[in-house]
Amino acid sequence: MEFLNPTALYGFLALPLLLIPYLIRRKPQRVIFSSLLLFSVPEKRAGGRPWGRLRLPPIFFLQLLLLTLVIAALAEPVFSVRTSRIAIVFDNSASMQALFGQQTRFALAQEKARGLLSDLGPAATADLYLTVPRLEKVRAASLGPVEAAGIVGTLTPYDLPDAPIDYQVVLSQMVREQKYDRVYLITDHPAVGQTDALRVLTVGQPRDNFAVSAFNISHSSLVGSRLEGTAEIANFSAKDERIKVVLRGGSAVLSSRDLVVEAGKTAAAIFSGLPNHPYYELEIDNRDGLPVDNRRFAVPPAGQNLRILGISPRPQALNSLRAIPGVSLDLIAPQEYDKADRSGYSLEIFHYSTPAVPPANPALFVLPPDNNPLAELAKPVSRPIVSSWREPHPITRYVNFALFRPAFSRPLKPRLSGEAIIESPSGPLALATERQGVRYLVLGFEIFPYLGRENLPVSVFTLNLLDWFFHGSGAERRATGAPLIFSAAPQESFLLTPRGDKIALDRGANSFPATYFQGLYQFQRGSHRELFAVNLDHKNESDLRQPTPIAIREASSAAVNVSALFSIWPYLLLISLVLLFVEWFVNPHPIRSAFGLRSPPAT
Amino acid sequence: MLPEPFTSEYLSQLETLRLRTRKEFLGSQTGSYSSPRRGTSLEFADYRRYSPGDDLRYLDWGIYARTDRLYVKLFREEVDLFAYIFVDASASMAFPSPREKFLPASHIAASLAYVVLANHDHVKLHLLGNSNHAPSPFYRGRRRITDCIHFMTSANPEGPLELAPALAEYLRMLRRPGKAILISDFLMPPSSYQQGLNLLRGFNLDIAVIQVLTRQEVDPPFPNGGLRLVDSETNAEIGFQWDAAAQQDYKSRLAQHNSEIRSFCHQSGIHYSLYVTDRELDDFVFATLPAIGLFK
Repeated sequence: MEFLNPTALYGFLALPLLLIPYLIRRKPQRVIFSSLLLFSVPEKRAGGRPWGRLRLPPIFFLQLLLLTLVIAALAEPVFSVRTSRIAIVFDNSASMQALFGQQTRFALAQEKARGLLSDLGPAATADLYLTVPRLEKVRAASLGPVEAAGIVGTLTPYDLPDAPIDYQVVLSQMVREQKYDRVYLITDHPAVGQTDALRVLTVGQPRDNFAVSAFNISHSSLVGSRLEGTAEIANFSAKDERIKVVLRGGSAVLSSRDLVVEAGKTAAAIFSGLPNHPYYELEIDNRDGLPVDNRRFAVPPAGQNLRILGISPRPQALNSLRAIPGVSLDLIAPQEYDKADRSGYSLEIFHYSTPAVPPANPALFVLPPDNNPLAELAKPVSRPIVSSWREPHPITRYVNFALFRPAFSRPLKPRLSGEAIIESPSGPLALATERQGVRYLVLGFEIFPYLGRENLPVSVFTLNLLDWFFHGSGAERRATGAPLIFSAAPQESFLLTPRGDKIALDRGANSFPATYFQGLYQFQRGSHRELFAVNLDHKNESDLRQPTPIAIREASSAAVNVSALFSIWPYLLLISLVLLFVEWFVNPHPIRSAFGLRSPPAT
Repeated sequence: MLPEPFTSEYLSQLETLRLRTRKEFLGSQTGSYSSPRRGTSLEFADYRRYSPGDDLRYLDWGIYARTDRLYVKLFREEVDLFAYIFVDASASMAFPSPREKFLPASHIAASLAYVVLANHDHVKLHLLGNSNHAPSPFYRGRRRITDCIHFMTSANPEGPLELAPALAEYLRMLRRPGKAILISDFLMPPSSYQQGLNLLRGFNLDIAVIQVLTRQEVDPPFPNGGLRLVDSETNAEIGFQWDAAAQQDYKSRLAQHNSEIRSFCHQSGIHYSLYVTDRELDDFVFATLPAIGLFK
């Protein structure tokens, strides 16, 4: 037997309240009698007590039975006729790794699924689904209950956020199209409403959690060699908490901090002067609900120098960048761009040129041609006047725009969303944008050659933008579920996942989409190795306090096959009404009599 | 016009009755009750030796023929009866209402008074209570029944009753012994009613007791649960848990109490009868009271 509205079962907790009228000491009736001679036994109860001896008349048990039946009817009990075809949808998002007691929510979900499968007949079939990274079947073919139970044990949750799924629509569609008798969604989200065919089984309880919400390693400056780590700790609880943060480089502990994080807020920590390590790991030592977000990984910038790939039909102008300390420059012609190995570059500068597709590396576009994908260029303007600029902004810092007078410019009209950094009366002169975590900057004026002290405003501006790209490259944040993008691999390449799996990459493949687990991914091509730190980067997944409810409405089940259930609550309600009639005749004034308000006898 | 149930038929039936006494009293006039004195009735009492001057009509010539001695026959004197009817007029006689308890008691008293009046004897009514009810005068003759009924119905039962002191107040003024009839519910401690009845016995009265109870007193209709019981006479209160067991306990106590009264009366030579007021009055008067020997 199951309950379509199990919340009503909490009503059983209120049943003891029925005892209260019987416990309350009734006000004794005052009755005048001819003589008390024959009533010589005095009352032995204490006079001051508001409650009296509990005496339960038969009507009490009738009322108890009546209330029990009403509560049971409100819970809408149904008998499950053995279903022949069901689907079990597992929420395998990261929050399902949260602990409930000694078990994770996902382990509880597996137990529930095994219970459901064990109730099926041998001829029944079951399909298993996972919700992330997308809602899809675990196995294409339908499974028998025993086989499905075996597969359930092999499923694991991913370090991915919840998929944006409208379960009401999607599950109803599954019922209709796949002809399921019932679809179970096992998740950690509470359910609002149930239907006969769509059942949401909630596992776990809301609880407090702490998470490393950001962690980044970068050089402290463009020319400096020292590394700096920044971290952000979030407190998803209702009270302030002291949290110890430990930073490791490789396997060595580099530093630790004690942070006080206010309730519902975040606290930042900065670790300066870090030695160079292949990767870094930040961990908080609180034993909370979700272990996966208690640690976060980061890798340092690719090199100490800012490695620039210059693509220009006139490369002489870019040569002047070599004068800047910490910058290494490779120059190629635009037609060589597609064949070039672009891996390892922190910045690509397209000078009077543009690639066919936006590059995978951060890029600076200086006066790109009209067919570039980022911005349209207006007619040239000589000696443009800078009318406004973003402030504060790393690019405009320390720039004296009163003296900033490029020889000519072409105002920009952005094709993609971005922010104007410098504007003239004719339009923006500098546009910054970001796509998939990669920074792009489009300039409508010439900044090369780099002249140093001879043109200080433009030189400061140039150094600022190089510093901006430099920090951007170090602070690249890769979230679970986002693809790893690397340069095309003509040779045999492998990817080592955080779980130790060695995945051979296809020749020519330049991305790896299945970053389902948090950790370090190592790309190998020959002797070249590159580390990627991938982290769970979704605050909603770490906030375990109030999961978003999943609404299941009755209307969606209109088209489903409901023959699998037999409702018995109408019969319980009918019996309750009969009992109510019986009580009415046995005890016509239940409330009056319960509180001793019965009319006194004639005296 | 007499109230119910004193219809002419009922009165006619009462006229057929006579109070029975187990003692001989000195009456004031010639009547129908035996007196310890010798007199001129038809009832033979004794023989006495003839002395000069005796009426020769009373010589027993048969004894003279056998013994050759002269004896005269002596006869009892028959005198009238003085009856005293005491009615409890305390507050307990108004439970559950005067109409349901005191009025039936009054009807019994009036009926007995009419029996006395119909026999040309004397009857005096007394109301026992804390109020100083003045007793009625001696009534004699049938027509005085209206006075008797008026005297009884004008009374209002109230206050507590101490039986012995209340009786003593009236008995101080008693000059002629006779028949005493006490009508009460006797819901009082045994010592109290025993003192009262012994007081009556001390005044050489032939005593009859009629206990009057209502059905509510025999079988209290209280609801189950906690009760604050109030004594109608003393206003004392007790808390009481009323249920089937308590009801059974009350009934057994009442039966024990009545049994003690009956036993005391039996040992003391007192007529005793119990009247529950839901019973028909004429049935009680014409069936029960003769059965206990109150009437000849």
